[in-house]
Amino acid sequence: MKLSFLIVLVILLLKTSHAQEFSMHLAYENCYSKQLDKAIQTYNFSRPFLPNKQPLLTNGFNASSSFLFNSSVNRKQGIHISYSLFKSYVENEKLINSFNLNVLSLGYILHYEYKGKLTGWYSDCIISVKTSGLSRNVNEEKHEYNDDKTYAYGIGGDLSVKLGYYLHLKKSTYLSPFIGIAYTPYLYAPNNEAIINQTKGLTSENWTWILSPQVGLSFHLKNE
Amino acid sequence: MNRRNFIKNTTLFSIGGILIPPAILGACRKDTLFEDIEYSGKVVIIGAGAAGLYAGYILKSKGIDFTILEATSTHGGRMGKLNEFADYPIDTGAQWLHGKNNILGDLIKSKNIPKTQDQSELSYWFNNQIVDSLPKDPFIFEANNLPDISFKEYAAQQGFGSEYEGIIEAIAGDQGAAAANLSAYWNSKDEENWVSGDDDYKFENSFFEVIDKNIAQSILGNITYNCPIKSIDYSSDKIVITNLNNDLFEADKVIVTVPISILKLNEIEFIPQLPVQKTAAFEKFGMGAGMKVFLKFDAKFYEDVLYGGTICGAYVDDTVGKKTSDNILLAFVMGDQAASLSELNSDSAITNALLAELDLIYDGAASNSFISSSVHDYTSKPFIKGAYGYSTVNMGDARKVAAQPINDKLFFAGEAMNINGNHQTVHGAIESGYKAVIDILNLVKK
Repeated sequence: MKLSFLIVLVILLLKTSHAQEFSMHLAYENCYSKQLDKAIQTYNFSRPFLPNKQPLLTNGFNASSSFLFNSSVNRKQGIHISYSLFKSYVENEKLINSFNLNVLSLGYILHYEYKGKLTGWYSDCIISVKTSGLSRNVNEEKHEYNDDKTYAYGIGGDLSVKLGYYLHLKKSTYLSPFIGIAYTPYLYAPNNEAIINQTKGLTSENWTWILSPQVGLSFHLKNE
Repeated sequence: MNRRNFIKNTTLFSIGGILIPPAILGACRKDTLFEDIEYSGKVVIIGAGAAGLYAGYILKSKGIDFTILEATSTHGGRMGKLNEFADYPIDTGAQWLHGKNNILGDLIKSKNIPKTQDQSELSYWFNNQIVDSLPKDPFIFEANNLPDISFKEYAAQQGFGSEYEGIIEAIAGDQGAAAANLSAYWNSKDEENWVSGDDDYKFENSFFEVIDKNIAQSILGNITYNCPIKSIDYSSDKIVITNLNNDLFEADKVIVTVPISILKLNEIEFIPQLPVQKTAAFEKFGMGAGMKVFLKFDAKFYEDVLYGGTICGAYVDDTVGKKTSDNILLAFVMGDQAASLSELNSDSAITNALLAELDLIYDGAASNSFISSSVHDYTSKPFIKGAYGYSTVNMGDARKVAAQPINDKLFFAGEAMNINGNHQTVHGAIESGYKAVIDILNLVKK
C-alpha cells in the first residue's frame, strides 16, 4: 500500500515537474582509498593488544536516486543524489569497534540511451559534490573524540559513470542491472585520523582520494 | 537475446567487470602496516619510559630484535608507583589520563581497566581567601592568534594583576612550565591538534601499573637496567653505543627516548655531532623543574583542587578516584616554584615550606593534622632533570626538527618529540614510540 502510494506520488511528481524519468538505485559498493587504508593499517599496527584486526573500510552499500529531464532523443539530464555507507567492524573481547563512513553526493547527471543494436543499454555520467562523515562506535555506543565532535567531516568532488540495461516490467516501469565506478580525486577530510587513530598528523594526509566500483539494480519510472 | 540470457550475461559481466578487480585489489590490501616485513637488524632503544617501552612492545609484535638500555634500576621513566605511603598505590609520576580518545583509551577499554573521571571542583587562593570563582576568568590561553609572548606577559597585557600571579603559575604549571617561559602562541598552536578530549581520568590502581602490566611485563627480558649511556657513535654502518661503564652495544638503528633536558644538556655524546639545526631545536624547548609532594593528613581540611599558592601553584586531593580511607594531598609544583623548593635540598625543608603555606591558607589545620610526606623531585633525578618539555617563545618548528631522524640511523621519541599536539602526556610518548618504529620499518621496506 505504502509502495503503491509512493509510486503514484513519484508519477505525479514526474508529471508536474515535467521530469521524464525517475530512478532509484541500490548497489553493493567497494571503497578503495590509500589514505583510509593507511589510517586503519596504522591503527592495527599500533595496537598489538587487540588480537582481532580492524578490517579495512572496503565493503558498503549505495542507495541513489535520479530525476531526469529530456534534452534530446537519446539524452536526458538531471539531478542525482547518492548515499553510501561503508563499515569496518571487529569484535575483541572487551572492545567492539566499528568505523562508519557515510558519504552523501549531490550532482548533475547526463543520461544517454543507446539505439540500434544497443537498444536497451544506457550510460550515466555524474559529476557531484561529495561530503563524508566518518564516525566510530565503541561497544555499540557513539564514540566522542572531543566532546561534541563525533564525526570527521569531509568535502570534495566526484566523477562517476554507470552502465546499465533496461528490462521492461510493465507500463512505464523498468528494472535495470547496472555497474558503475566513482572516482573522488580529492576529499578534504582533516579529522579522519582523529577518528581512526585518535591523533592527528601522525601518518595520514588530511585528504584522501577514493575509488569505488559498484554493482546493483535500479528501478525506473519513465514518463512516456 | 531473451531476458533470461540477458540477466545471466549481465550478471556474469557484472561479476567479471566490477567485483573481480576489487577482489584482486582487496587481496593486495593488508590489514596492518608491514604485515610481512622481515628485518634482521638490531634496534637499541635508549630509555625505558613510556615511549621506549611502547617502541619495544611494537618491535616485539613484529618479531624484531631489540634491546632497551635504561639508565636507572627500574622502568617507567616519569611514571612510578609508591605502595607503602597510603592504602592505595600512589602515582609518583604521571597520574592523569588526559582525555580518552587516544591509544590508551583503547588499551583501557580492551583490558577493562577501572578508571574514574576526575570531576574535582577547582577553587582559588585569591587575595588571601579561598574562592570558587574569580572576578576575571584566567583561562585565556586557548584562544586563536595569541601573540608569541610568555603566559606571564600575556596575562599582564590582559589586565591580570599580581593577585592572579599564583593562579597563572598554576595554569602554566599544568604544562610543566613557569608562566614567564611558556609561549602563549606556540602553546595554543600545539593544542590545535589536541583530539584526545578535555576530561581527565584517574585509575583505581595506578597509571604506572597500567603501562607496567600491559606493556612492560611482556618485554622485561629485553631491558638492560642501570645502563646510563655516555655516547652514541653512528659514524659507521653499525652504531656503537657506550655506557658509563664503557660497555659497548651494537645496533643498526637507535631510538633515543631520553628526556629533552638530557639532550639539551648534551649528556649523551653523539659521534659525529648532531647537525646544528638539531641541537638548536633542542635548545628551543623548555623543560622546567617539576616536583610532586604527597602530604598525608589525619583529616581532610582542604579543597579538591586549589590554585594560587605562592609556594605551590596547585594543591590537589590525590584520593579522587581511589578506594581509600587515607587523606592524601598532592602538592603539584612546577616551574620556578619547583626550582625554588628543589634548592632547599631536603625533603623535610620542602615539606615544611608547603605546610607553612597550607597553614596560612587553612588557619593552621595542615600542621595540626599532618602525618607524613613523600617528596618526588624530578629535577634532582639525574636522568630526567625536570618535568616535561614545553614550547617557549620563538619555538617555531623546533619540535618537528628535533623529532626528525638522523642519517636513517637515529630516531627520536619521547613526550617532547610528539609533533601531534600530544606532548607532555603518556599517550603522546607512546605515539612517538610507535611512530619511530614506523619510520624505521619504512626505511627497511625501501
